[in-house]
Amino acid sequence: MSSASLYVDADTFLHTLDPRAKLALSFAVFVPAYVFGRPEYIAVPALLALAALWAGKGLRNLKRIWIIVVALFVVGLVVWPGFVERSGPVLLDLGPLYLTEGQALFATGRSLRIATFIFGGLAYVSATSNEELVRGMRRLGLPYAFCFAVGTALRLFPTFLGAAGTVRQAQEARGLDFSASNPVERIRSFIPLLVPVFMTAFRNVETQSMALEARGFDTRTERTFYGDTPFSPRDWGAVAVTVAVIVASIAVSMMGYGVF
Amino acid sequence: MTDIAARLRDVVFSYARGATLPDSEELTGEVDPDDREGPVLRGVDLDIPAGSFTVVMGASGGGKSTLLRTFNAIIPDFIDGSFRGEVDVLGADATETRVSEMARDVGMVLQDYESQLFGTSVEAEVAFGPENLAVEPEEIGPRIDDSLDLVGLSDLSRRREPSGLSGGQKQRLVFAGVTATHPELLVLDEPTSDLDPKGTREIVDLVGTLSERDRDDGWTGPETIAMVTHKIEEALLADRAVLLKDGRPYRSGTAREVFTDTDALEAARVAAPPLVDAFDELGWPGEDLPLRPPEAIERLEASDMSYESPGVGAPGGTATEFGDPLFELSGVEFAYGTDRGPVTAVDGVDLTVREGEVVALVGHNGSGKTTLAKHLNGLHQADDGEVRFRGRPVPDYSMGEIGREVGYVFQNPDHQIFAETVREEVAFGPENFGLEGEELETRVDRALETVELNGLDDEDPFSFSKGQRQRVALAGILATDPEVIVFDEPTTGLDATQQRRFMDLVAKLNREEGVTVVMVTHDMGTVARYAPRTVVMRDGVVADDLSTRTLFGDETALAEYDLVPPHPAEVANAVRGDEPTALTGEELVTALGGPDALAGADPVGYGDESAAEMEVDNE
Repeated sequence: MSSASLYVDADTFLHTLDPRAKLALSFAVFVPAYVFGRPEYIAVPALLALAALWAGKGLRNLKRIWIIVVALFVVGLVVWPGFVERSGPVLLDLGPLYLTEGQALFATGRSLRIATFIFGGLAYVSATSNEELVRGMRRLGLPYAFCFAVGTALRLFPTFLGAAGTVRQAQEARGLDFSASNPVERIRSFIPLLVPVFMTAFRNVETQSMALEARGFDTRTERTFYGDTPFSPRDWGAVAVTVAVIVASIAVSMMGYGVF
Repeated sequence: MTDIAARLRDVVFSYARGATLPDSEELTGEVDPDDREGPVLRGVDLDIPAGSFTVVMGASGGGKSTLLRTFNAIIPDFIDGSFRGEVDVLGADATETRVSEMARDVGMVLQDYESQLFGTSVEAEVAFGPENLAVEPEEIGPRIDDSLDLVGLSDLSRRREPSGLSGGQKQRLVFAGVTATHPELLVLDEPTSDLDPKGTREIVDLVGTLSERDRDDGWTGPETIAMVTHKIEEALLADRAVLLKDGRPYRSGTAREVFTDTDALEAARVAAPPLVDAFDELGWPGEDLPLRPPEAIERLEASDMSYESPGVGAPGGTATEFGDPLFELSGVEFAYGTDRGPVTAVDGVDLTVREGEVVALVGHNGSGKTTLAKHLNGLHQADDGEVRFRGRPVPDYSMGEIGREVGYVFQNPDHQIFAETVREEVAFGPENFGLEGEELETRVDRALETVELNGLDDEDPFSFSKGQRQRVALAGILATDPEVIVFDEPTTGLDATQQRRFMDLVAKLNREEGVTVVMVTHDMGTVARYAPRTVVMRDGVVADDLSTRTLFGDETALAEYDLVPPHPAEVANAVRGDEPTALTGEELVTALGGPDALAGADPVGYGDESAAEMEVDNE
């Protein structure tokens, strides 16, 4: 059985930070990745995010999605050049496939930016349990119902995939063929798959919400949070670092460095 | 404190919204539990005494769960429908209170533990309820310790992810989460239906513990328990019982009174405890019928009974002669790939299944039985070793070829039902396998007739009861006219009558049409009655492969495999000497000399326990 959640249970420095401080730190990589455009500049937050992923023992989660990251760069090299002027020396000229150095740099920068978001987000959820995430959002003043819904969606996704696997087997055993060559047939073959998945999910949601309320869950009354720790000096430190990084990167980019 | 934990008066409930509810006087008369129209509760008057452990039984779809859901205001607060009546629970008017408020005093545990786990760690899970009730964080820590201790999970790491626990552990964790809110009344809705025998025993022991303790010694656990179950062995834990029939209580009283009233049980479509039935048949005095094996053994030892062999083969009437080998498995190995590397599920299995056999595949969750079964129709392909069907390796067949010959009925019919009408659903398989026209229609008609759903062709299968949906799924497999049917937990979620009907149908297909049956199941009653041969799986290998009668007669083997035999076998084993064991109540009667063989025996009495019960009654 694979682990249901992305959270990695450990006692690293990142794990012990307040969820809000961790959220702040993610912005310390998101903002520079966003304001800069040149890949050599974005590489810094990208590497920092990877380092955070390593520090929070979340590299095993990267294994689950590395194929997406690779695809991101490959597809990026094809798609992004269409958005910019051809500039600099020509790297590739195969008729329809045409790439200049400027285009390549631009594409790599954009892909690296998205990769940074993925690494940073992954580092955050690897080091933050669902309960902490909900608690952190709640402490930031978001409505509890919303916080809980986000937490639940993250938690339920693997369960949903599991049910889909069972349904697929059940229909395959009844001779459903997913490899039809005709595209219309192919789409039609998804109906016997999707209906049971959604019906099962629907029934589950019903049971779940009933069980939730029976456990006293109520968005209209105030609740307490077990294991809630005060915002420590370390957390303030993380916020200070974030503010400094954000201010610095915006200032540097406005001076014209790191952008196209 | 009040003497009555829950008091219901004239409670009428229909799942239809905005329905006009007729007067209770008009709601008398017979109701078919499969009929989804009209009110489910039809004028319920009921008192649950404080401090009691009450079990509610009745036909599937007969309103048992619905009834219990009025105790914590799920009905009428959460479920939309039409409601009328008075419900007073622990001094509160439950019809005017929100579910989340009732949660302070009433805890609820449902069958499906997966849907009830909300935390990503053991600790977070238990804390969830108290947090919702705004218990101070400093007080939650001790509550987590106490609750985990109570359910026997204090050895677990508090930070462990619930998803990695066994079924029994997960359900115990649900219990811990509920008891951490310190409810006075605990409502249990089939808490063991999704569990394997080991998990079931864990929960049964836990419920036993909960019901024995009371709050006088400063304990904060539940004082009163109300439970719905289909399993009679579990029901015998309770001290009071209520039978529901036609949407209202039909018979209630002490567990002993109700469970020895064979007429009332039959009328309510509840299987009588097998020993009660057997001793009634043997002519044992009616006021002295035994509920559990020790009582039965005591009675037999006090009588001048003699035990003879009850017969051979399966009592459920499955075939006794078998043909050529159909499946030949040799050295089958299979591992699931996970993000932490491969996990071996089947670790070298050799097995032969002959034509016309009924084979039960038993073992705990994770023993590899379902994984192995999925090799039979090519859903899984062995990493190593070979699976042959009729001498030819299964991977050499196309999915279409093997799917036609080997039907696979999944545990949950809702994982396959998708069509808008029953007919379309049943025709789906045969159509995929290339049948059409007249032949297709005939096959579908025959399949529907076999499962007794003919005439319901145009109904929407989603509106059916669980038992009916199970039969739709089976019809969908039967319509492809398979030579083999593999069942994964065929009887889950069915009541006693439905289970019997479903399995008798399977036995008939086997006996009359020579269909070979392989069934993966936790239900030892089903194994005993229908499968002449049992394969015990443990840690991915075949731990034993033997006649079911031999298995249930061998207490050492049963203990080793952690299997609990049906009550009649347990009793037979104590008195049978060297004769073979009895697998069902009927066989026990035969072995002991047939009907009325023990008529005129002296009553034995129930000892201290019944004296205590009598006192409760007289109050």
